Amino acid sequence: MAVNASARSQQLHFPVDGEWVYAITTTSQGGLSCGPVSTPVAIYGTPDVDGDLVFIGTYNGKVYALSTLARSQNLNFPQTRDKEWFYPKTNEVIGSVVGSPVVSDDAIYITSSDGKVYSLDRDTGDKNWNSTVLCDKSWSTPYIEGDKLYISTFDGYLYALSADDGSITWSFATESKIGFISSPVVSNGVIFIGSFDRNLYAVEVESNETLWKFAGDNCFWATPLVSNNVVYASCLDNNIYAIDAGNGTQLWSFDAGSPIAVSPLLVDDSLVVVAESGNVYVINPKTGIGERIKNPENDNKPTINALVQATPCAQEGIVYIRGQDNWLYALDIEQGEVIWKFPLTTE
Amino acid sequence: MVDLWNLIILNPMLNGLVALSSVLDGSCGLAIIALTIIVRLILVPLTLKQLKSTKALQGMQPKIQELQKKHGKSQQKLQQEMMKLYKEAGVNPLGCLWPMLVQFPVWIALYQSIMRALATTPESLLNLFEHLYPWEVVAQALPLDSHFLWLNLGSPDSTMILAIIVGGSMWVQQKMVTAPTLDPRQRSMNSMMQLMMPFMFAFFTLMFPSGLALFWAVSNVIGIVIQYLVTGWGYLGRGSLPKLPLRR
Repeated sequence: MAVNASARSQQLHFPVDGEWVYAITTTSQGGLSCGPVSTPVAIYGTPDVDGDLVFIGTYNGKVYALSTLARSQNLNFPQTRDKEWFYPKTNEVIGSVVGSPVVSDDAIYITSSDGKVYSLDRDTGDKNWNSTVLCDKSWSTPYIEGDKLYISTFDGYLYALSADDGSITWSFATESKIGFISSPVVSNGVIFIGSFDRNLYAVEVESNETLWKFAGDNCFWATPLVSNNVVYASCLDNNIYAIDAGNGTQLWSFDAGSPIAVSPLLVDDSLVVVAESGNVYVINPKTGIGERIKNPENDNKPTINALVQATPCAQEGIVYIRGQDNWLYALDIEQGEVIWKFPLTTE
Repeated sequence: MVDLWNLIILNPMLNGLVALSSVLDGSCGLAIIALTIIVRLILVPLTLKQLKSTKALQGMQPKIQELQKKHGKSQQKLQQEMMKLYKEAGVNPLGCLWPMLVQFPVWIALYQSIMRALATTPESLLNLFEHLYPWEVVAQALPLDSHFLWLNLGSPDSTMILAIIVGGSMWVQQKMVTAPTLDPRQRSMNSMMQLMMPFMFAFFTLMFPSGLALFWAVSNVIGIVIQYLVTGWGYLGRGSLPKLPLRR
């Protein structure tokens, strides 16, 4: 679904000004005597938008490129003249895609639960390459730096792959081979990543050394955010931690009152943390002091009255959050309030 | 209410399953088998009570059949005489029911634990983390190895093997406990149930994650063993009762 923020703030009738909705479904044979059944497909990763194209990986193992032009005119999919495609191009599927697709130059990169990383042509969806089977399962979003892709796996490996041909240029595993759950982020030559053993690891790229590990009381599920040599890591133990990227020392922590399953955002000079409960906090990234944005209807309820498990995004001081109640919420961080909300259901 | 259920029953069982998996070389399949055995052993006193009650009822079958012959035409009279018989023998016909009711929540918790521990989707894995204890042994077990024998425990078994084992073992267990009856309606219902339940569970096996079907299979096998130790093969080897002679 494409939502125009300006139109939503004016509460115009949906869809206007390039807004669209397109249902990705899969057709399967119904049980016993039923005919073919069309069911919606789960999408976990954040779509990657590049120009007029939106790239999406689905849980049933397909990758799609949707054109905003074609979708807003509700044309049949795929419109190849608008560079729409899906991969694999046959009825076959790759493993479930949970991580987000990443676009770089003229290729998109995607990690699949079949243990492989795929590089596809941005404009045609033709396969450039796929890696060898790296693992049993990976839900990682590839991190691209230079001509390398970094991915993490459930069986405890970090890999650097060549963006040109998918060959493995580096790999790393912890001594106990504990699996990695979050996607990696690379900053100043160091990979930061959350693990199943409730530690956040800092691993020096191209070496086999763990610089430090930081223990939480639960898992670091979301990809950490690194800024100004500080790692901001959301943890399922209800806290957001600010950690010195150089030595792993805790600078401060902030208790959000419920698990935090999504990455924090830096909006202007504020750190925005969205807890699973729906509470949104605006925190000073230097001091760790912050406050909750109030619910406009009832101060005793969470900021948005829905669970939050999807990664929010921010643009021009507005944070957009998709709640588990299938509503999209827009929050003005400077004013500290919910400015509009919109149902993401098509009925 | 949900919190209380999680706190008292579900979370201990779920964490027990994950910890067992850690101890058993990371094998989720072995952990499911071990936890099913442990839970069934804990429930043995209740199971025995249930079986003894069933056995007492079975011991009364000849007398019940006599009554059925005698009062076959009048259901009301038959019920009265049967209640009288139960009273005289000091047997409560519902005596086998309450141990089963007590066991029921435990089965539900075991079912939920297995489904949660297998955590095949991102939201289910996230949910799992929020129910785990801060034990080292639990953290080290994750992610659980969902491969066991030929099975991927998070997906339905694509072969028919597990479905046959689940259906077959359930049929044997039911056959052992279902007493033959002279009442044609009851007999017809019994035969239908004896086939219906195994068929249903065999069908579920093809639909649900095989980790759950593994639990059904192990549970059935343990049930058969306990049943055998208490009542022998029961009615498994016996044919149906001779039909009532036709009245001229």
